[in-house]
Amino acid sequence: MPGFKFLNQTAEEREKLFINLYKNAFPTVARYVSKMGGTFDEAKDIFQDTLVIYYEKSVECSVELKTNEKTYLLGIAKHLWLKQYRDNSKLIPLNDLDIESEETTQASDRKILSFLQTAGKKCMDLLRSFYYDGLPLADAAELFGFSGVRSATVQKYKCLEKVRETVKQKALTYEDFVD
Amino acid sequence: MRTSLIETEQIEAHLMQRSEPGDQLVFEARSLLEPELHEKMQWQQEAYRMVKLYGRDQLKQEIEAVHQKLFTQKAHLSFSQKIRRLFINR
Repeated sequence: MPGFKFLNQTAEEREKLFINLYKNAFPTVARYVSKMGGTFDEAKDIFQDTLVIYYEKSVECSVELKTNEKTYLLGIAKHLWLKQYRDNSKLIPLNDLDIESEETTQASDRKILSFLQTAGKKCMDLLRSFYYDGLPLADAAELFGFSGVRSATVQKYKCLEKVRETVKQKALTYEDFVD
Repeated sequence: MRTSLIETEQIEAHLMQRSEPGDQLVFEARSLLEPELHEKMQWQQEAYRMVKLYGRDQLKQEIEAVHQKLFTQKAHLSFSQKIRRLFINR
């Protein structure tokens, strides 16, 4: 879908994107939440989750955009509102909007994450840009200052191995991690 | 690339279903015969999950920073007032 997949290489570009989305769509979403009896903070939470879903879907490029951006964001927000605050999700044909709430991220995950953040932030940032932001290798190589795609690839797999080993070791420490 | 990195790359191709159907079968057979490889695959899957959680956490922080900017900076006063007016009686 041309035009929908946005570039999100740098933190600055993402900031610009989110400011635009806020200005463009938050008034509509806030009006909806207000009309439904919600508070400012609820509107904020709903909208921020909406942005995360929108971002992830656009990176996966799995979204068929049938309407404009604002309408699409409002659609996600309405689903989230009905799901989270009105508990009548059975009546609503929810599609695969699968954002995990904070509650569903297990305590053991949090422990491992905070360890990875302190002990291997550089690797996590590199892996994030590949796997979460969907950055092409050549762009990531430039962003992280590698000499080329090849050395970026090598570093990516080195980092992945490091994280894999950390996750394994830590998981064995936190017994509740493995089912 | 050193051997272990090549294997990590192969595991990735397998988990993300990017390898050729023939290679896919060979890899599946190998993972049945080599418990160590099978284990690596499971932990690698966990590693991807952690990277996703990390990415999401970071993104949420970036979005929150944007929110703070829009609702505290004078440059965006008319925008923030417009939103706050919607909730004036709550």
